[in-house]
Amino acid sequence: MNWPFLIYIFVNAAFALLISPFYMSLIKKIKAWTQRRKGPPLFQTYYNIAKLMKKEVVYSSNSSWIMRTTPYANMIAVLAAAMFVPLAFVPQGFDGVGNIILFVYLLAVARFFMALSGLDAGSTFGGMGSSREMSLSAIIEPTTIVVFAALAFTFKTTNLHEIFTETAKFPAFVMNPSLFLISIPLFLVIIVETARVPVDNPETHLELTMIHEAMILEQSGRNLALMELSSAVKQTLLTGVLVNVLMPWGLATEFTLQAILFSMLAFFAKAAAISIIIGLFESALAKIRLFLLPHIFMLAFFLSVLAILLEVF
Amino acid sequence: MASPEILTSLKGTECLKTAFPGNNSEIYAPVDEAEFPAIIDALANDGCVLISLFCAQNFEGRKGLALFYAFERRGCENILVLMRSAKGSKATSVAQKFPSACWFEREVSDGFGIEFEGAFDNRRLFLHEVYPEDFHPLLKETPNKKIKLREKIPAESEYQFKPMNGEGVYQIPVGPVHAGIIEPGHFRFSVIGEPISNLEVRMFYKHRGVEKLAEGKTPEECVKIAEAISGDETVANSVAFCMAVEKISGAKIPARADRLRAVLLEMERIYSLLGDVAGMAVDIAFASGASPFFILREEILRQNANLTGSRFMKGIVGIGGLKKDVPENELRNLSSYLKTFPKLFKEAHDSVLSSTISVDRFDRTGLVEKRLVSPLNLTGPIARASGVQIDNRKDRPYGAYQSFKPRVKIMDGGDVLSRFEVKSHEILESVNLIQKILKDLPEGPVSSNFKISDGFCLSTVEAPRGQNLHWVYIKDGVVDRYKVRTASFCNWQAIEHAVIGNIVPDFPLINKSMNLSYAGTDL
Repeated sequence: MNWPFLIYIFVNAAFALLISPFYMSLIKKIKAWTQRRKGPPLFQTYYNIAKLMKKEVVYSSNSSWIMRTTPYANMIAVLAAAMFVPLAFVPQGFDGVGNIILFVYLLAVARFFMALSGLDAGSTFGGMGSSREMSLSAIIEPTTIVVFAALAFTFKTTNLHEIFTETAKFPAFVMNPSLFLISIPLFLVIIVETARVPVDNPETHLELTMIHEAMILEQSGRNLALMELSSAVKQTLLTGVLVNVLMPWGLATEFTLQAILFSMLAFFAKAAAISIIIGLFESALAKIRLFLLPHIFMLAFFLSVLAILLEVF
Repeated sequence: MASPEILTSLKGTECLKTAFPGNNSEIYAPVDEAEFPAIIDALANDGCVLISLFCAQNFEGRKGLALFYAFERRGCENILVLMRSAKGSKATSVAQKFPSACWFEREVSDGFGIEFEGAFDNRRLFLHEVYPEDFHPLLKETPNKKIKLREKIPAESEYQFKPMNGEGVYQIPVGPVHAGIIEPGHFRFSVIGEPISNLEVRMFYKHRGVEKLAEGKTPEECVKIAEAISGDETVANSVAFCMAVEKISGAKIPARADRLRAVLLEMERIYSLLGDVAGMAVDIAFASGASPFFILREEILRQNANLTGSRFMKGIVGIGGLKKDVPENELRNLSSYLKTFPKLFKEAHDSVLSSTISVDRFDRTGLVEKRLVSPLNLTGPIARASGVQIDNRKDRPYGAYQSFKPRVKIMDGGDVLSRFEVKSHEILESVNLIQKILKDLPEGPVSSNFKISDGFCLSTVEAPRGQNLHWVYIKDGVVDRYKVRTASFCNWQAIEHAVIGNIVPDFPLINKSMNLSYAGTDL
């Protein structure tokens, strides 16, 4: 552990925190445009978070310490996961961080706490959301692991830092078409993990259809702001994996201010492009029947297994 | 009197002799208590449908409470109204033979304190627990003013939802306060995992006492009350009320007013159903599919504002016709706008149904079986989507519908998809009808003046959600009793059956495919 590494951790996390809310609004804007509405301002999510930060937190009288800890546990888990995904600068020569499996399970920790807090308040919808989230994650988790395993097979390493270093040297998909195959499951993982159409509907007010939203229905004020911010960061991290594997142009591996600033700008633009695709994808689809969701996961699973087979043989 | 088909069930009974025709092709038949069970049996065996049950106090000089049972027979224009006196505030229940009577009887119990013996459900309906035990608002001796509500509700008066027992059964209470901006209603689901085993709907959280409010008011004043029954059925309800008053007085309204009323009725149907189909797309998170419908709905509402000065067409329908004429140039604008409408609508419709996900979500979701339609008196698009050929515009033509008949689409599916298709068809058919009516719209006055006489009359209209029934009794120039039975009131029962076996996340879609009015229920 040394100074440059601490700076990397801090800057990477701060960068993720700073840009993440923008993409939430951007997706909303894109969806609004497809509906021929004006949509919210691009900075609306920042305003919302700022507003929620100032509001008081209300706890249900049934709730325990879980309700109080979850927002922080969530944020910490997601920020720890941020260490594993260099967004704009890949530090060299640091071992111990970047393990892709650990990354997946750090996100699972966040999910675990969220599900517990959904149950904790004792409201019907929270319990329903938690139950759905847990049943779905039991199905999606193996798929996510296989998707990342495919990535690991392609690059012969399970370390995201090493993968990104590799891709930063030259866009790897030129050499390796199986990355195209992996990009689709990676995209689906983003959709599933961030609770978007056709899996879940982030915009709905219908409690009975909610999955993710149902779990955070009882959250309020600063705690809700933290929950929203951590899901935004989670989305940015997953987008980061996709962006830096598939479109690594401009990704900095040298520690120079100029290179890093350029890389940040490039990442911002590339992640925005992915967000636009997510917005269009959400608009084009309707939410599928709850019990048919495994079909989507199967698609991701199938393509990842295909990628692994291509790499092995 | 001649013997209309509806009376065949009464053959050989005493009450047939005393039956007399009403003002609007309804037939009143006073029934003797001894004969009543046999007549109910005969009506049930003949497949008649109990479309309403209401009560009136001191009716036509007879002291005490009188019960009115309105029966419809498919394909028969007349409505039979059995009149029965409820001596000692007691009566036998007909809910075993006619399940639609369940809510009707409970409503009468709350309003008038009549006890129905042998009913399978005796719980209160529109009076929630906070109202004191002996409070019956519709009795003449109860004044229409604020009352002291119960502060402490004894445990035995608490509303009991039907329990469901068994391993893993879990109850989900939803509402009456919802996350969105929607009206209040409570839904009690019993589920095992996601599949719904039972649903109980509880309404009347905002019961407004519309019927009591109307009492003692002049018919002119009551038009406003009729308009306020349900926002998106403004024209339907005001027309039904005005028709009843006009029939009582034997007045004829000018042909132009008749036709214009039909135009407004169809405009109301278009925007109301557009909201329904848009809502179905929204509820499966297909917002981009829904937005073209919303845009069309907004355009229709603007047309409404141009025609009548009100987006929801309030304040135009009056007794004797219309309160004001509709500007000729606005009618021309409407006609040319409606020429572009079908193409845009079909595009929007096809874009929703071209998505395999939406078809999969709609198909076989929320099944309303055909056999439920008559016993529960389901009406409107719900009944038509379940394969039953009923439409009040054709079955009991009123106003301009005597010469302009809509084409009615019947689907057999009974699911959300069928309702989507039926409603879509009805939107286009309404456009068609309006164009036909506008083509030869007669010139002339839009209102006729006449003296309102005393009497009573039953009138029915086809509102966007189905048949609305109004019974108006005018005594000494003021409304003595005003009974409204909206389509929503009956159709709420359909939802309890439709959701069974479906999963919880499909409930909002099923609910939206019916899109019933809460206000229209909480009278």
